[in-house]
Amino acid sequence: MLFASIPFACFFIVFSLLYWYVFSGSLKFQNLLILTGSYVFYAWRDWRFLLLLIGSSTICYFLGIGIGKTNNKKRRSLLVWIGVLQGLGCLVFFKYFNFLVESVTGMFAWFDVKVEVQTLNIILPLGISFYTFRTISYLLDIKNGKIQPATNLVTFCSYVAFFPSLIAGPIDRPKTLIPQLAKERVFNYNQAADGLRQILWGLFKKIVIADNCAAFTNDVLNHYQTLPASALLFSMALFTIQVYADFSGYSDMAIGLASLLGFKITRNFNYPFFAQNIADFWRRWHISLTSWLTDYVFTPLSVYLRDYGKVGLILAILLNFTLIGIWHGANWTFVFFGFLNGCLYIPLIITGTLNKRKKGIQSGFKTFLNMTGMFILLMFTFLIFRADSLAQTFDYYRHLFSPSLFNGFVITEKVNMAAAILAIIIMFIAEWKQRDKEHALQMDSIEKTGAKMLIYYGLVLFILVFSATNITAFVYFKF
Amino acid sequence: MVKTVLFALPIFILFEILFRLGFAPIVTSSDLFDAKMRHIKKQQVKQVNLMAIGSSITLYELKSDLVTQNLDTSYYNFASWGVQINDLRLMLRKFIPEHRPKYVIMCASLGEFMSPPNSTYANFLNTPGFIRNNLPEFFYLKNYNSIHQIIWRKYFEYPINFDAWGGASLTVKPKDINHKMWDAHDVFPTRYSQSNYNGLDSLAIWLKQQRIKFIFIQAPIKKSYANTAYDQQRINAHFDKCRSIIESRGGIYLNYYNTTIFSDSLFVDQYHLQNAGAIVFTKEIVADLKKVIK
Repeated sequence: MLFASIPFACFFIVFSLLYWYVFSGSLKFQNLLILTGSYVFYAWRDWRFLLLLIGSSTICYFLGIGIGKTNNKKRRSLLVWIGVLQGLGCLVFFKYFNFLVESVTGMFAWFDVKVEVQTLNIILPLGISFYTFRTISYLLDIKNGKIQPATNLVTFCSYVAFFPSLIAGPIDRPKTLIPQLAKERVFNYNQAADGLRQILWGLFKKIVIADNCAAFTNDVLNHYQTLPASALLFSMALFTIQVYADFSGYSDMAIGLASLLGFKITRNFNYPFFAQNIADFWRRWHISLTSWLTDYVFTPLSVYLRDYGKVGLILAILLNFTLIGIWHGANWTFVFFGFLNGCLYIPLIITGTLNKRKKGIQSGFKTFLNMTGMFILLMFTFLIFRADSLAQTFDYYRHLFSPSLFNGFVITEKVNMAAAILAIIIMFIAEWKQRDKEHALQMDSIEKTGAKMLIYYGLVLFILVFSATNITAFVYFKF
Repeated sequence: MVKTVLFALPIFILFEILFRLGFAPIVTSSDLFDAKMRHIKKQQVKQVNLMAIGSSITLYELKSDLVTQNLDTSYYNFASWGVQINDLRLMLRKFIPEHRPKYVIMCASLGEFMSPPNSTYANFLNTPGFIRNNLPEFFYLKNYNSIHQIIWRKYFEYPINFDAWGGASLTVKPKDINHKMWDAHDVFPTRYSQSNYNGLDSLAIWLKQQRIKFIFIQAPIKKSYANTAYDQQRINAHFDKCRSIIESRGGIYLNYYNTTIFSDSLFVDQYHLQNAGAIVFTKEIVADLKKVIK
């Protein structure tokens, strides 16, 4: 179920009524409801992989208990490795098997060696990248003594399958979510109201901005060879905003839904377009993924390579970001995307400005220039993310550099495009003004209820009038 | 919870106002079909003895006044643009229990056998009858479309006026005839044609099981469409196929393909008759149907 859909709205209304009116006061039944609801939510899309989710969760639960029970270092490591390999094994098989086969056969073909290996007709289980990382971080945190193993199977499985963030994140850490699942939730009006506001903001970004942009950018990418360079450039800019609006919109809805159930989950975006450099950008974009990889890959790696100074740091960052790229998908475009982003860190490492952060909220012309420069850089890197192949990416770049860069181009859905552009302007202004808040609709500074209601109804009306003709699946669903 | 409901209330009121102002929800991809369904509700069409169904051929070429004057029976024209035979199976499974006709009449040409079915008809037809008939506003939610799409559709849809029995007139001045459509020559059969023939067969079987007389009428086709022996051979094969299907399943097959009676001047394109041609056509039909419909 898509969050922005009627079936989900009906599901969540019924779920909430049961959660707060029927099972309120009983932690056991509330958690059971969360687990059941999460499995129903997951199975709605494709029931076939529910067993995989349940199996992974159960294995990790018992491994966690095993790790917690033993003090033997080797045994603890062995149990962790079993869990990690089980999780990564499933992930690699379902997500990367065909990619690996095609890459190996392609590599041999370079040397005129024919290798006959069959690819399989594999369907990617929804959310596997996300819940696998949850289970792995659980086992690693137990091993490192950061958390105690969960003693209740329902609580643990609810953590893995927590439906607001199961399909496309945020990737919650066990120390964030499990303690909240283990204690009774009491309805908090302010938290619920803030959750609704965040859902509204997420809906606005998703179905007005992202989906309206998608109609144009998909068309341009499918016909870029025949379109003027001006259209290609405009499409690149729109796509960059589209990915942000789509993914952050989903994250906002996920966080808002969790708030409605009394949970506070990981923030995933911190206004990344206001970043001053690439390091700043990745501290603000898909925070749950980058922090996960920082804690479990980059930090151990940089410690291991510390004797090699800046070279070691560069290697660690390149590897970390290549993994970020690979995580996104089974295509060389993602590998290159990640690696390229890692390369962009090199000037910061060499100049020693990697960890320099200016205190306070930045503004001013230099800040604006930095933000604009970052956006242009992102436009070019996100194209790699979107393209079907590296060849298509470079061909697209080639078509950019032509005299038709100054030609006009036709927009067929003019009303939708105008609405999207207006919405983008509203989004940037609102997020800039609210850049010290968790989301743009946390308007504590506005005291008058009437003014707030005007803003809420204005947004609702904007969504109702200008939402896209086709509401598309979230871009990050395929990861 | 109460505050949430109160917040949402103006939104429901907004959509109700839109509905009252005539900005109906977009239910299917066919604005004509949606308009026809609204007309059926508005006319409070209940039981009809003679149900006309089909595409624009049935819609425009079966003159309601001639049918009702000559055949002393209750009648409604359920036809809509672009309907394929495979669409009709779904439609009739819903319309027949609701309207309980004794006769189903379909005027068809080649166009009903050319394309795949329109999956959006199911949006409306598979919705429970209570909601379709009493809560049409529900479709704002079920088949969500933005308000600007709803307004756009209303203002840019092809204007059509149904008569009291759901029929419509097609009158195009000779100078306004679209030359591209006039000279068009659709390829027939297509890769969907066999599927539509199969659909016609299962439709005929089903109607027979329901003890409903199925009257299939082959509508006239412009003479210049079959301007080669090969084209004529193909449309004759089509006629034979349809006749064979209908008659083997106990239906009545009537063929009015006659390029002498229906000269080119009576057409607006390769299949559609002008109003004048439709009058001639309907008179022929009712003369034959008087022997069948009691």
